[in-house]
Amino acid sequence: MVKIVNFAQGEFVMIGMYISFFLATRLGIDPLLSLLVSMPVMFLAGVLLQHVLIRRVLGLGDMPQIFLTFALSVLLMNVALLLFTANYRTVQTPYTDASFHIGGVYVSVAKLIAFVLAMALSCALTLLLHRTDIGKAMRAAAQNRDVAMLMGIDTNRVFAVAVGLALALAGAAGSLLMPFYPVYPTVGQVFVLMAFVAVVLGTLGNVTGALVAGLMMGVAESLGIQFIGADSGLIVVFGLLLATLALRPSGLFGGWAR
Amino acid sequence: MGAVEARASPRATRRPAVWIGALAVASLALPALVTTPFGMDVCVRVLLFAFIGVAWNLMGGYAKQLSLGHAAYFGLGAYTSTILLIRFGISPWIGLVAGGIVAMLASLPIGWLCFRLRGPYFAIATIATAQVLMLLFLKFRGFAWGAEGTTIPFLGNAPLMMQFSGKAPYYYIALALLALGLLTTYLIERSWMGYYLVAVGEDEDAAQAIGVNAPRIKRDIYLISAFLTALAGTFYVQYIYFIDPNTAFSFNVSVEAALVSIVGGIGTLWGPVLGTALLEPLSAFLQSWLGSSHAGVQLTVYALILMAVILWRPTGLMGLVSDAIRILRRG
Repeated sequence: MVKIVNFAQGEFVMIGMYISFFLATRLGIDPLLSLLVSMPVMFLAGVLLQHVLIRRVLGLGDMPQIFLTFALSVLLMNVALLLFTANYRTVQTPYTDASFHIGGVYVSVAKLIAFVLAMALSCALTLLLHRTDIGKAMRAAAQNRDVAMLMGIDTNRVFAVAVGLALALAGAAGSLLMPFYPVYPTVGQVFVLMAFVAVVLGTLGNVTGALVAGLMMGVAESLGIQFIGADSGLIVVFGLLLATLALRPSGLFGGWAR
Repeated sequence: MGAVEARASPRATRRPAVWIGALAVASLALPALVTTPFGMDVCVRVLLFAFIGVAWNLMGGYAKQLSLGHAAYFGLGAYTSTILLIRFGISPWIGLVAGGIVAMLASLPIGWLCFRLRGPYFAIATIATAQVLMLLFLKFRGFAWGAEGTTIPFLGNAPLMMQFSGKAPYYYIALALLALGLLTTYLIERSWMGYYLVAVGEDEDAAQAIGVNAPRIKRDIYLISAFLTALAGTFYVQYIYFIDPNTAFSFNVSVEAALVSIVGGIGTLWGPVLGTALLEPLSAFLQSWLGSSHAGVQLTVYALILMAVILWRPTGLMGLVSDAIRILRRG
């Protein structure tokens, strides 16, 4: 929202996953319940991140932001590697392997729960951005920082909340993934590349577009696994990205000209 | 910015000739002084990564096109020469140039796609292209050995096949590559192309408005940068006698290329060299001190240094050096 491309976003998903993993294995807390821990913790981490690091490079152009968040991404990945080793870790829940089928289609319970909760969180975010004062302040500050400041918006506070929210959602994604996805230090790279493809495919800055594109990518990946082979999912998704860039660089929901 | 400063004072360009001469003599004599294989290995790695940094810097530093996917060209160079060597018995010396040409050809479609995006989105798109290439080489095992990779047969001391029993010849090859990279950068920096690159890097739209053909200049510099990076790839696999997709298209190569340049000072001739001279021995020291059990230490330290540079000294080590020179002249 603050027009910061955060290269470390995937690493925050990774941290959310580790939080859920350790809560589940050490304290026996269900990964979905640990959402209540991972979201507030990550929100605070986001506020801290904004105050300590991002605030210093705002308004200096692309380069410092890219390098700083990129360095943060490398740092978090490697600290995780030092602390937790490169092992893949999974959590077994009663619903991990459960599935039911409707009309010949198997639906995994864990993935369905993750889908429903992710949709609920997306709706909550949209409502927050459009219906609350802080949400409106965020959109204003994203549009034009200086003008927002002149209108009496405390942009530092607004950015802190925005970065906090972004990290809280990453933490939530981590908790939602944990029942059916293994966690390892570089897991965030997969998600950040996927998220990037969704954002470009669904037109930069278009939230609904990213959502639709995300669904399309999921379908494309499954079709790729079905018809080409088990390890071709990523190739299909990246192929989709390259095709988008070649044929329609402004994304599915952008105009023809840029 | 550094490039402009260097050009502005002609006196500053004459003096370094002495320095460069001294540096050249010192680096030519170095293998006689360094006696341990470990020491030589560190020297070779410094030269190699400085060279990759120099290649990256042409694009990332001067034209400010932040590629985080230079491993694509490193890997293409490495695979081209290895396939030529093992399948057809062609010398890596020919493979070296062939790999460079393959990388140049690959940079055309990759650039055509990625240059449609700008800033951070360009950077991520380049990561994706390197990943796609890695996935392709992992998947098509019949073509290039798949995930297991292959070792390169050792022929003994065979200079014509780029194989040597000692480390000193590798050192000189790496030194020659670095010299080539620096010479290329020097010539570009001094030509109209250098000015165009800096203009595109500062403000692409403004440069375009005053008649700089930005897409063409970006394509041309990408070609040169890809060619040089591929040379490093060929050299590296010949040096370690092993290739697999995870080594050849390693994300770490892309990261390190950008890292040494930023820490040293982007858009400057000597920045990547200075950055590598600091980072590479540091990481070798850390690794020998802590052993291989602490796999993440090297990049953790790198990331911390990078963050410190961005927050406190965005011009990198070159900025420190030019400040020091200014203070010395005045005092």
